[in-house]
Amino acid sequence: MRAAAAKAAAAKAAAAKAGTAKAGTAKAAAAKAAAATLVAGLIAALVAVPLVSLARIAAEAGLTGIWRALSGPQARVAILHTVAVAAVVTVLAVTAGAALALAIERRPARTLPRLLVAGPLVIPEFVLGFAWSQAYGPAGLSDRLARLVMPGLFGPAGIIAVLTVYGLPLAYLAVTAGLAARADPALERAARAAGAGGWTALRTVTLPLLRIPLLAAAALVFVTAAGSFAVPQVLGTPAGFATMPTLVYDDLALSASPAAFTGLTVVALALVVLVLLALGPLDLWLARLRPSARPDAPPARHQSRTTGDRVVSVIVWAYATFAAGIPMLTLVLTALTRGPGLLPVPANWTLANFSAGFSGGGAALLRSAGLAFTAAILAPLLGSAVASLARGRWRGPLATLVTLAYAIPGSALAVGIIIGYGRWLDGSVTIILLAYVAKFWVFGHRPVQAALDRLPPGLTRAARLSGAGSATAVRTVVLPPLTVAMTTAAGLVFILAFHELTMSTILYGPGTETFAVVIMNQQDLGGIGATAALAVILTAPVVAVAALAAWLARRPSRSARPAPRPPARPPVPPSACGSPAAPGGGPWFP
Amino acid sequence: MRIPRTLAVPFLLASAVTVAACGSAASTASTAATGSASATSPQLTLYTSVTQNTVTAVLSGFAKVDPGVKVTVFRATTGQLNARIAADQHSGGLRADVIWGTDPLSMESYAQQKLFQPWPLPNLTGVPSQDKTTYFWGTRELYLVIVAHKGLTPMPTTWAELTSPAYKGKVALPDPAAAGSAFAALGYFATAPGFGMNFYDKLKANGAVQVSTIPEVVTDVAQGRYQLGITLDSEVRAAIKEGSPVVLDWPADGAISLYSPIAETTAAKGSAGTAAQELLRYVLSTPGQTAIGKTGWQPVLPGIPGPARPAGATEVYPAWTNLFGRQTQILQQYQAIFGA
Repeated sequence: MRAAAAKAAAAKAAAAKAGTAKAGTAKAAAAKAAAATLVAGLIAALVAVPLVSLARIAAEAGLTGIWRALSGPQARVAILHTVAVAAVVTVLAVTAGAALALAIERRPARTLPRLLVAGPLVIPEFVLGFAWSQAYGPAGLSDRLARLVMPGLFGPAGIIAVLTVYGLPLAYLAVTAGLAARADPALERAARAAGAGGWTALRTVTLPLLRIPLLAAAALVFVTAAGSFAVPQVLGTPAGFATMPTLVYDDLALSASPAAFTGLTVVALALVVLVLLALGPLDLWLARLRPSARPDAPPARHQSRTTGDRVVSVIVWAYATFAAGIPMLTLVLTALTRGPGLLPVPANWTLANFSAGFSGGGAALLRSAGLAFTAAILAPLLGSAVASLARGRWRGPLATLVTLAYAIPGSALAVGIIIGYGRWLDGSVTIILLAYVAKFWVFGHRPVQAALDRLPPGLTRAARLSGAGSATAVRTVVLPPLTVAMTTAAGLVFILAFHELTMSTILYGPGTETFAVVIMNQQDLGGIGATAALAVILTAPVVAVAALAAWLARRPSRSARPAPRPPARPPVPPSACGSPAAPGGGPWFP
Repeated sequence: MRIPRTLAVPFLLASAVTVAACGSAASTASTAATGSASATSPQLTLYTSVTQNTVTAVLSGFAKVDPGVKVTVFRATTGQLNARIAADQHSGGLRADVIWGTDPLSMESYAQQKLFQPWPLPNLTGVPSQDKTTYFWGTRELYLVIVAHKGLTPMPTTWAELTSPAYKGKVALPDPAAAGSAFAALGYFATAPGFGMNFYDKLKANGAVQVSTIPEVVTDVAQGRYQLGITLDSEVRAAIKEGSPVVLDWPADGAISLYSPIAETTAAKGSAGTAAQELLRYVLSTPGQTAIGKTGWQPVLPGIPGPARPAGATEVYPAWTNLFGRQTQILQQYQAIFGA
């Protein structure tokens, strides 16, 4: 009897348990469906709406029209130039970025070299080419001082050089984070001890371990280089060197005619297709590579300065001075000088270029900062939404999809956004914000995706088994590296949104002018001094904040060195594109 | 992994809060804008590519004459203005009541797309006939001239002399694809007797270089990168005022003149239409034209002072009606010479 009662009770308990499990599964399925809906909605709102809007216009041309727009001699040459420039820049920037990261990251004094290499990232892209032309071009600073003109600056070589300088920090930061997490110095030492030369160890041990951050960096650098407009415009026009973004710009000037406008959308979409072809397979491949976790061992680093350190220091200083220092100095001098062609000596100095920009720009400056800040919060959040919800076979394609809006030239994306949302949001800050988030979403997604990938799945489980509640496990294990990645992403998005010019000038409305719009309107894209002043005004606050962040990050570590790594810290910082933060590093720069 | 759902909660909260904040900011802005409109004052939207100081000067004068009209301005470069107009047309229709452009070519495209009312004030007097079409009239003249580096001798006296061996490798041209005003030079030479595309062949053979924008021509010449260039007179005057080592060289055969047209759009209805016509009338009135002259442009109305011109200066006019619709074709011929 008792046995039967116990049996019945056990059966009852089992049934109850099964019921709970069933409810749990249903709950999980519902959550999964909600998550999928959220991601699909985001992709639809930020990528599909503008792209489909543009595609509908392009479709007005019909297949023959599209073919004609892309097969003309000009378009063919522009496509070829774009692919070639983007490919060469990707190889150069990733190689140089990785080399610098390998050289710098295992040495004692890293903060300053990191800052120097990553520095060009805070200079707006539209400024860099212009600054180089003023520094190294004919009648530029080096020409005046030393009769030195950089050969080939106006043409493909110059474009590639400047875009490499702009893309290098993306690669550098990705590899830096990857190095901190992936490349195990012990493995390299083992290889060397087993008789492998330095080159063999690099080729067979270090680089394969860095495969994921290298590929991720390559993806972002490629899209950035292919989509660059300002650099080819300034340096390519005198050489008659057109790319797809400059072609879009030319079409824009003629786009009062519907045919030219259709041509514009066709070329802009062709650029998207190009990126899709390049990135789609890469992202699929990246999604299949499984990162392997490394035990939490302190990386071996030289503790004293060696000759090698000094050589690296000299190289980094020389590079930073040449790539960003002299051009930015030239820019400041140009902004301070009354008119073009005058010597940048105190007798010719003026603040007129700055005061013109600031008159009436105060509210706009606040608005720009607010917009950039909001975009900097939203993009990483939306990025982490996709990163954390996208699993399995959807991971690669979703990563590519998130990147597509970044690949659309700003002017075309703005048109797509107006067509999609203009009826309701025309001229509002929301439509500008929408454009910023769509454009820079990729910078909020990829670093966070990389950070999540780096989390060994066993880690949370281990925390739970050790008695931590799920909240504690998330707080102590998941959030720290994710916070670093999200802060990094936020920093990048803030810089890019604060510098954004093209979309804002098309999207703004009464009372929603951004700072760049106000200055551009007042100075009418005019004199060189005005442009330089705008560049300085847009760059200086970001440099100041970055320098402050770096200084704050450096201060405690100086007093604590050689400090052991904090034991509670998870071993794995974000490992891919644009995640500058390494363990113990500051939020923006390592 | 369990992280995602845990993260999704704060993420959703934060984004909802931020979006809500943005939304409310936007709606406040739009109520502010429409609020005054509902208070019986007509509302007018102006799209323009005219320089900001000129727009500001003209509109502040207009506000004194017509204080009841609330004018909303969208100002951008010609290319960005084109993008905005095209986007408007694909999303519910043009949102401007008046368009005030920089050159007649874009304006003619819009006229052909039936975006403009026929010119509503035919009885206004004084505007030269070459600055009038059925749909839009000119408001100011822009002159394409030669800019020279200070001290260059001998100075060219005509356009044709830019192809002389004395200036080999010393001439900068603005990219005609980048702006309508730069295209005016190409449009003039392509169709003018004695020039034609052959003029560009000769320029290219003489080492002339195409740079990107009209202001860049002045910068490059001032810096000595080139000695001569084709650019707008206003840009040269601004650089001279700043002390730059450039001089304005007005060709003896005439500066190339282009006019900056204004038109009422078909979107202007009711009180907005009336207000649009009031603005057009003001721009072509003596006070409006004076404001234009004071901001560095030549007014279209005779007798109203603009910037100083050399004695005996003449101008020539591109054959606009011949150029309408042929922009792309002419550009392609040009790019075959100056492209890659």
